[in-house]
Amino acid sequence: LAAQHTAIPQIPKAKAPFYFNSATHLVRVEREQAHSLGELLDAMRGCSEASIFQHTYQTLAEHHFIRQGFSNDFAHWTFSACNEIGLAEQLAAIDVRNFTTIANLRTELVNMLGEYLDRVPRARDRAAAEPFYFCASELFLIPTPFAAADLAEFADCLRKVSVHSIQHHFIDARLRLRLSSNDFSQWLEVDADRADLAAKINRIDFYTQTLNGVRAKIVDIVESAL
Amino acid sequence: MSQPLAKSDTTLPQPANTQEGTFVERRKRPRIAIEPRNPPPPPSLKDYEGIVDSADLDEIRWIAHQLRGKSIKLINATALGGTIADTLNRIIPLLKELEIQAQWDVITGGNDFYYVNKAFLGALQGGAYQLTPEVLDVYVAYIEQNRQRLDFGADIVVAHDFQPVALVQSRTQHQKWLWRCHIDLSNPHPDVWGFFRPYIERYDAAIFSSAAFAKNLRIPQYLFYPSLDPLSEMNKPLDDEFVTRVCEDFGIDRKRPIVTQISRFERGKDPAGVVQAYKLAKKYVDCQLVLAGSGVNEDPESKLVLDQVFEEAGDDPDVIVLNLPPWSSLEMNALQQASDVIVQKSLQEGFGLTVTEALWKSKPVIGSAVGGIPAQIVHKITGMLVHSIEGCAYQIRYLLTHPDFAHQLGRNGHEHVKENLLITRSLKSWLVLCSSLLGRS
Repeated sequence: LAAQHTAIPQIPKAKAPFYFNSATHLVRVEREQAHSLGELLDAMRGCSEASIFQHTYQTLAEHHFIRQGFSNDFAHWTFSACNEIGLAEQLAAIDVRNFTTIANLRTELVNMLGEYLDRVPRARDRAAAEPFYFCASELFLIPTPFAAADLAEFADCLRKVSVHSIQHHFIDARLRLRLSSNDFSQWLEVDADRADLAAKINRIDFYTQTLNGVRAKIVDIVESAL
Repeated sequence: MSQPLAKSDTTLPQPANTQEGTFVERRKRPRIAIEPRNPPPPPSLKDYEGIVDSADLDEIRWIAHQLRGKSIKLINATALGGTIADTLNRIIPLLKELEIQAQWDVITGGNDFYYVNKAFLGALQGGAYQLTPEVLDVYVAYIEQNRQRLDFGADIVVAHDFQPVALVQSRTQHQKWLWRCHIDLSNPHPDVWGFFRPYIERYDAAIFSSAAFAKNLRIPQYLFYPSLDPLSEMNKPLDDEFVTRVCEDFGIDRKRPIVTQISRFERGKDPAGVVQAYKLAKKYVDCQLVLAGSGVNEDPESKLVLDQVFEEAGDDPDVIVLNLPPWSSLEMNALQQASDVIVQKSLQEGFGLTVTEALWKSKPVIGSAVGGIPAQIVHKITGMLVHSIEGCAYQIRYLLTHPDFAHQLGRNGHEHVKENLLITRSLKSWLVLCSSLLGRS
């Protein structure tokens, strides 16, 4: 009997568990408003970092169900209220994954808008169809009961947490870590010794799929390694 | 053309006539209750599982745990009817279930208080008005009466809309007071706004339905979208059989395209403009237009608006105008569910919860770019934004002839509401804000 018994492969434990958190936010209405692209540029230079975060990272998450054609509020307003299609395309192409600080993201936005207005001065003061109202995110961390000690538990927890948790660990984490990575990839590489999975997960494109789509892809990658 | 229903089902509408003059009765006796039905018991948080992720509900429970035992008093001006009362009726049982002591009080006053507040409402939304000391005396006197009558002993007090604003004079040192504004304050009458502003700045924070409605205040201002309850009679899924029965009752042919606007018969909702858009579209696509609303019997202005609608519609039997009693949520829901395209061609709008309701039902929506509608409709993604009667007509034609695109809009719209505009999202925002104010986050 003992000879016939097939050993069940053990799933290696990670060096430290992954604790899932989540986040929620309030949207605060700020004082800055823009009635033209010139005013948008001025306000963008002086607004709070929480405003830049709201109109890029946060709005991306709020519209995650749109898999094509929505990137950030600045691009959307430039297109819909200012009818500057070329600039809107440029702004929409700004990828938050290329930035590990809001300051750098702001610099990119300001440079892009400033250069466009230098090239197309007629666009600077032309009245927009509707104003751009600056808002800001106030983030609140929420702990969850989910923790994973190995890859199987990790996949299981990923299925159970909210999309806000996916957003918190996969998108917003870049600013926290100040790395071009995310919490999931960091844990897989550092604590679970799976740099291969970490790299695959970090390549998932959250601009072209919903947060639930991102979740499904991460689960697929992790389960393929079990 | 059909005539509006009487308030009860005891009076049948006038028959419609075809162009040839042949009598055609297309509408049976509608089976709408004469009196309001008893409301179903309010749902518990668990009832939202399946609509909202259970992890999301757990997050709400965790935030609420920080507030357990705290008390919240909610104050508004009406106990029945209207979005505020409807929302409070749904949200208070959820707060209680989460072990937060929620209490709801309604301010009271005589007819003069009612008329003063109605005039203030118009003025705060940009209407012309002559503010007099006598009017202010009426408002202040009734506020004083309510201050004497009501108990404000709660950790957090939330005043809804402008009517109870001046109650803030009763705040004590350790309380937090929040002002929830539901109206479009983007262009208020300066004198009326000047009267209310000092009171508002005594609150800890103000909450608006659109960033465009916010003012330059000395207190923090937050953006909370109004929300819908997916389990309410207005929004729950209905049997197709019931939807068909309602359509048959109202003389609506489900085999032909249906374009609908559900709104009160007010100038700001521009129902006559919707008829004009329908007539332009109808030159090229077959469709019926349903205009359904309530409140005509109570409001003289609505009767004028309705007359204008009839004049605009002429003798077209495909224009179906329904003045329904306020307790017709199930029928309104059925009309939305039966529709191929839903229109909200407002000239002025608060948030436009009828748009939210239509999006939730996965319908392609055409909405004017006013008030809170652009916050709900991302043009060509979750719906179509228009600025004119001609634009509305074109989009009706386009959506009726491009069903795949219309279907995609509806799908996106539903997701948008699910993520951002459900009552559970609103509850979470309230809990987070209260928790933050009380230093629990």
